[in-house]
Amino acid sequence: MYRIRFHARGGQGIKTASRILGTAFFLEGYEVQDSPRYGAERRGAPIFAYVRASKKIINERGIINKPDLVIVTDDSLLLLPIAGVLLGVTERTVLLIATDEATELWKKRLNLQGLVLSISTQAAVKGHAGLPLLGAACVGAAAQLVGAISKSALEEAIHDQLQPLGKVIVEESLAAAMTAYDQIEAYAGCTTEREDPSADSYESPNWIDLPFEDAGTSAPYIHAAATTLNVKTGVWRSLRPVIDLQQCNRCALCNSYCPDGVISLDAKGYPQIDYQHCKGCLICLAQCPLHAIDAIPEPGQEGEIS
Amino acid sequence: MIRKLLTGNGAAAWGARLARVDYIPAFPITPQTEIIETIAHWIGEGRMDSRMTTLESEHSMITSAGAAATTGVRTFTATSSQGLLYGMEMIYTVAGWRAPFVLVNVSRALSAPITLEPDHNDVLAARDSGFLQIHCATCQEVLDSVLLAYRLGEDEKVRLPVIVNLDGFYLSFTREPVEIPDDAKVDQFLPPYDPGETRFRAGDPISQGVAVLGGSQYSYFRYETHLASLNALEIFEEASKEFEELFGRSYQPVESYRTEDAEVIFFMMGSFATKAKDAVDRLRSVGRKVGLLRPRLLRPFPAKAIVRALAGKKGIAVIDQNLSLGKGGILHTELCSALYSMADKPVMVSFIGGLGGRDITREEFYEMVAVTMKAIETGEVPTPRLLYGKEELIQMKGLQSIAKVEQRKGRGKR
Amino acid sequence: MKESSLKSIKDLPSTHVLGPGTPTCAGCGALGAIKIFCDILGEKTVFVNAAGCMTLLTVYPFTPFKGSWIYTAMASAPAGAQGVRDALDLLIRKGRLKPEEDLKVVVLTGDGTAYGMGLSSTSSAIYRGLDFIYICYDNEGYGNTGHQFSAATPHAARTATSKGPEGYQRYKKDLFAIWAAHRPAYVATVAGTEPLDLARKIEKAKDLKGSKLFIAFSPCPTGWYFEPAKTIEVGKLAVKTGVWPLKEYIDGKVAHTKVPLPKGKRPLVEEYLKIQGRFAHLFSPTRNENVLEKIQAGVDAYWESIV
Repeated sequence: MYRIRFHARGGQGIKTASRILGTAFFLEGYEVQDSPRYGAERRGAPIFAYVRASKKIINERGIINKPDLVIVTDDSLLLLPIAGVLLGVTERTVLLIATDEATELWKKRLNLQGLVLSISTQAAVKGHAGLPLLGAACVGAAAQLVGAISKSALEEAIHDQLQPLGKVIVEESLAAAMTAYDQIEAYAGCTTEREDPSADSYESPNWIDLPFEDAGTSAPYIHAAATTLNVKTGVWRSLRPVIDLQQCNRCALCNSYCPDGVISLDAKGYPQIDYQHCKGCLICLAQCPLHAIDAIPEPGQEGEIS
Repeated sequence: MIRKLLTGNGAAAWGARLARVDYIPAFPITPQTEIIETIAHWIGEGRMDSRMTTLESEHSMITSAGAAATTGVRTFTATSSQGLLYGMEMIYTVAGWRAPFVLVNVSRALSAPITLEPDHNDVLAARDSGFLQIHCATCQEVLDSVLLAYRLGEDEKVRLPVIVNLDGFYLSFTREPVEIPDDAKVDQFLPPYDPGETRFRAGDPISQGVAVLGGSQYSYFRYETHLASLNALEIFEEASKEFEELFGRSYQPVESYRTEDAEVIFFMMGSFATKAKDAVDRLRSVGRKVGLLRPRLLRPFPAKAIVRALAGKKGIAVIDQNLSLGKGGILHTELCSALYSMADKPVMVSFIGGLGGRDITREEFYEMVAVTMKAIETGEVPTPRLLYGKEELIQMKGLQSIAKVEQRKGRGKR
Repeated sequence: MKESSLKSIKDLPSTHVLGPGTPTCAGCGALGAIKIFCDILGEKTVFVNAAGCMTLLTVYPFTPFKGSWIYTAMASAPAGAQGVRDALDLLIRKGRLKPEEDLKVVVLTGDGTAYGMGLSSTSSAIYRGLDFIYICYDNEGYGNTGHQFSAATPHAARTATSKGPEGYQRYKKDLFAIWAAHRPAYVATVAGTEPLDLARKIEKAKDLKGSKLFIAFSPCPTGWYFEPAKTIEVGKLAVKTGVWPLKEYIDGKVAHTKVPLPKGKRPLVEEYLKIQGRFAHLFSPTRNENVLEKIQAGVDAYWESIV
């Protein structure tokens, strides 16, 4: 069975991407399971989806813990432990990253033993479809990597899934997918189906008898204020707003308009951004009357994601 | 202490009054309404230092009750049947809040067809909610159970809401002599509610009933609530002991009546169990070794006590005043699961009776014993039996003829 | 009525009561309004929440609130507020809670709840004279489930359940009028994108006794299909074009707190519509003059009836 996991941010069209791949497998005669995994997080937040494909009936369900192929459409996720991109990744897992950095750099940074491949993000920026195009490119590459999906099946799957979005998006996605498919030809079939481990030996689930704890402890209560400070929503950002204080006239609009309340004013009335929590909506940039706020791509400097 | 004639509803209201409840969110429904009328009357006369707010539905009423309890006041409410079902979303929710309060449910059969008289399908719909359930057989027990219920639900090891159940008409509107205990003694038994740290007040922020994402966290919270419910068995026995010392009345999680040397046992809940007692006495007088076992607590389910009481018995007539459509009697299912691991299990015969307030006659109790005895002798357990006679069906046919059931034939055809 | 101490946007708080780190979408217009409510109401609050986008503000073990919170259900948040309010009053009266430990009770629901399932319990709470604040964040659809239409969805908007060629066929329910008909202490329409107007209204209403209700216009990048950075622009245009009137009901009268320019001088409604994906079908592939005129006429008629 092929077990493939997609990682992206909410709003990047990962559900569609996983369904294109699932459909392509299906068209090639595979039994398929594809599913997105939603949490509380929204647009911009790390999310994932998975695809299973096998010539036999699939009885597995749910999260893939030991993937054969991991596809990452947003490279900033790789530095985020909570995104779980590297969960269960071994030397035989192929990692496909949409990135403009060298794969060698990622291999070193993440101490990866297996094959790491990249897709350029430039294609996505140009087209009308925007980020979903990146998903299509990744699917094109994935189709080549598994060595089981023909170009015609890929094409039909893209038509099948993207038709409702209109002709332009279908054509651009098709082009992006086919380009990626061709680019990665040298690695055709590098992702292989994993043999299931024998039931002879297994790791114990370490069950315990859950001890009783009184309601003060064991009811869903939070006995404190503002614990969301622990949630670093700064990792959602793909662009970072930066205020040029030289140009700022302290109008305070950014402070009032920021929905997340991550802009506050210092004693002199200058705005400060809490980058640990700024989600990168860029409302401040759009509303700054003096254009004193700029946006730079994330990740910023090394280790400065949040 | 005074002894006077009270209806079951009156006894429930007295329980709330003696418990010095602070808050009563209310909504009228037959046959419960007399409870809130009585309390409203007392508040109006200044006999209760409480506030009653009439909400616009039971769903809102139960929300309000849970919210008040989580804010830190002793709360009482009452409903019945359709009302309990209308509030069912919140029944589950407030149990998850771990909001301790008492809800008196006056059992009434469920729609459709809508009706007024009792069976237990309403309260059994709340069986898996996290509410504890105490089922009463007499008006005295109603009053006493309300007091016990506060002790139980407010205990640190439990912290759960409690349903005290009484049968509509057979208890709700029926007067019986009831001992009303003295205030001072009740205060001794039931001190004021201490919400501890889980309440709302400025400077001490708390979020209650918070969402979780993920099955692992959910499993923890739900199972802890289950463990708290199980704790209630032990707490009930402790509180009952104290109650007996103060008031002289003993309440066990399971009531056993003449079971010791009995060979056949009636197993049932609610006020109809006193009819079974009557039948037991009469059967005993002609030499039949018969007894009654009545679970007073349905949640938590006193499985161990039941198993202990039924060990060595030859047969059980399980009488379900409820019907899980497509399955059968709910109590029968519960009992089967409790006895499954028992060696030399008694024979269990399932009877469905008293639906919608239909009577169960003395003769029917006798017949149930006869059927159970036969099953013991032959080893052949009959299929579940609805208590329903030939005359009843003849009457039904008469009604159907008035309803022109015959005329429907051929109508749907073109 | 005394004059507001809030003269300009610079008078709004420079730091914020509601904590960051919530799971709302980037650019959430509802959160922008809630932030200002928290800034003005302070920490002595208990929020009583109904199912909706904002349920997820508080997901174990995280809460952004410096005050308290309880999650109820769509149909009954005002009843939850009733229970909390009654209990607080009882505790104070019986000497078990100090008056300074009292809390303002705030119901927080979306439009799906406020305009529909929760209307009965809201009506009843106002009717009972419940002393509480109700915030409806109105993002004009069932946002948390993927933006299906609700009774607050505007005419012609495309939602996940109104994908026809002319979008949603019915018209937005007038919740302001429904609420005001109960004669509560205060009702206002507000927008997080008009922070000064919003803050002044909260300031004015917060210490009134009785029911204080707010409908907060909440542009939703995810459900309305626009870039998160444009939330303020969308909200501002809704006010400027006259689509979202800012008004308040107090002492039996309705007053508008911001009146758009007169017809002919104010921007056309299409300026507001065309920057949102949910109305894109009115402009492309062909311009739907008929529907655009109908929407414009509706807005014009509203303002004509005011002046």
